[in-house]
Amino acid sequence: MNLSRVFAFVIGAVLLQVLFARYLIGGRIAFDLVLVGVVLVSLQAGAVGGMLAGTLGGLLHDVAAGGVVGIGGLLKTLIGFMTGAFGTQFVVAKPYARAMIVGAATVIHGFMAIGLQAVIGQHWPGIVWTSILQEVAINAVAGYVALYLTDAVPGAMARNRSRQRSAWGRRQW
Amino acid sequence: MLSGRRTLTLLLLLCLGHILLISSQVQSGRGQTALNSATLGTMATLQGGVAGLTDGIGRIWTNYFGLVGASRENEELRNRVLELEGKLQAEQARSERASALEGLLNLQKSLVAPTLAARVIAGNPKPGALPVTIDRGKSDGVTANMAIITGRGVVGRVIGAPSAHAARVQLLAGESAAAGAVIERTTTAGMVQGGYADGKLRMDFVSSAAQIVVGDRVVTSGQDGIYPQGFLIGHVSEVKGTGKTREIVVVPAVDFSYIEVVLVVLARPGTSPDGKQ
Repeated sequence: MNLSRVFAFVIGAVLLQVLFARYLIGGRIAFDLVLVGVVLVSLQAGAVGGMLAGTLGGLLHDVAAGGVVGIGGLLKTLIGFMTGAFGTQFVVAKPYARAMIVGAATVIHGFMAIGLQAVIGQHWPGIVWTSILQEVAINAVAGYVALYLTDAVPGAMARNRSRQRSAWGRRQW
Repeated sequence: MLSGRRTLTLLLLLCLGHILLISSQVQSGRGQTALNSATLGTMATLQGGVAGLTDGIGRIWTNYFGLVGASRENEELRNRVLELEGKLQAEQARSERASALEGLLNLQKSLVAPTLAARVIAGNPKPGALPVTIDRGKSDGVTANMAIITGRGVVGRVIGAPSAHAARVQLLAGESAAAGAVIERTTTAGMVQGGYADGKLRMDFVSSAAQIVVGDRVVTSGQDGIYPQGFLIGHVSEVKGTGKTREIVVVPAVDFSYIEVVLVVLARPGTSPDGKQ
């Protein structure tokens, strides 16, 4: 995966997160498509790609959300590095296994975010397990769907192209 | 790609850069307001489009497919309107009496602040963060720190510089949100604060001698210069401990998960609608 693809994937994830922010009103439900994008990219591109994806995705996410810029950047850089390093050590090819890594990354990201918030704001907000578990579930499903689409769409397009080509070849002029 | 040592060096450099960026904002006490304001406008346009689309689909569902039980609901609403009309008559009579008394006592007339209806078009892209975006901004006369309310009670205040057609609203249950408050029954003053994971508010700086009971109504005091006086914040749901360590838990009157239309109060307490003191 080259750098431009990494950045395009991450920018797409940030855009989707901004567009679906309507469903995040008042903490009704929680999901982080930017984190999903960073984890999927880092599993594909390794630790360096993951770090760069995390930095870009996190900073863009911070700017879009308002408030202190850099918190999301720092957290997602670390997550990108960790999952990228994990992905280079162990072969994680199956979509469900990758979705599980997305879920695990969501838990780690959530705890790191709470810790960092406590350090910066000097206020312990508390942990809501139901909210964390719900975010884990949605992120894992989103990761699974994204992987399925990235695997299936290029193949389907190629099949469609070859079918068209062969149909043109058979046609009698 | 890079060797192990180079990767670690890059990670350290990136982390250091982020930490410097965070500390520069935490020390100055403000974020990158110009950048935030610029992105808010762009995002609000996209989010407004998505909100319009989803609302449109929702309306089609409600208007054409979800009509089961509409006649029963209609009957209930008619009864409710009758009941509210009666209450309105009583309130109008009371308001006229109060106005006449103010005239008799040569008091300044109570100022009824003008309001502006706004639609909530998006939550915060960061999961767990509570600020929402409304579709009214600078061009509608919205400025920072204006109070946001609904028929049920106080929602929050405008934070940061609004863009032309959008503004960001900090919910009262959000991190570092606060409002001057009084317990209506005893007129005990205090401050209501948000930022707790359970979504409930806490009332602090309350005299330890004050008798607070579960169910007490908590309303705005108007002393903070943001929220107009007398708007419902919530009800006391729990009083833990005694004396100085007492914790007063307040359940907000507004369900922050389901706010669709809000009112922007276009004047601050103690100012006229044109902003004069």
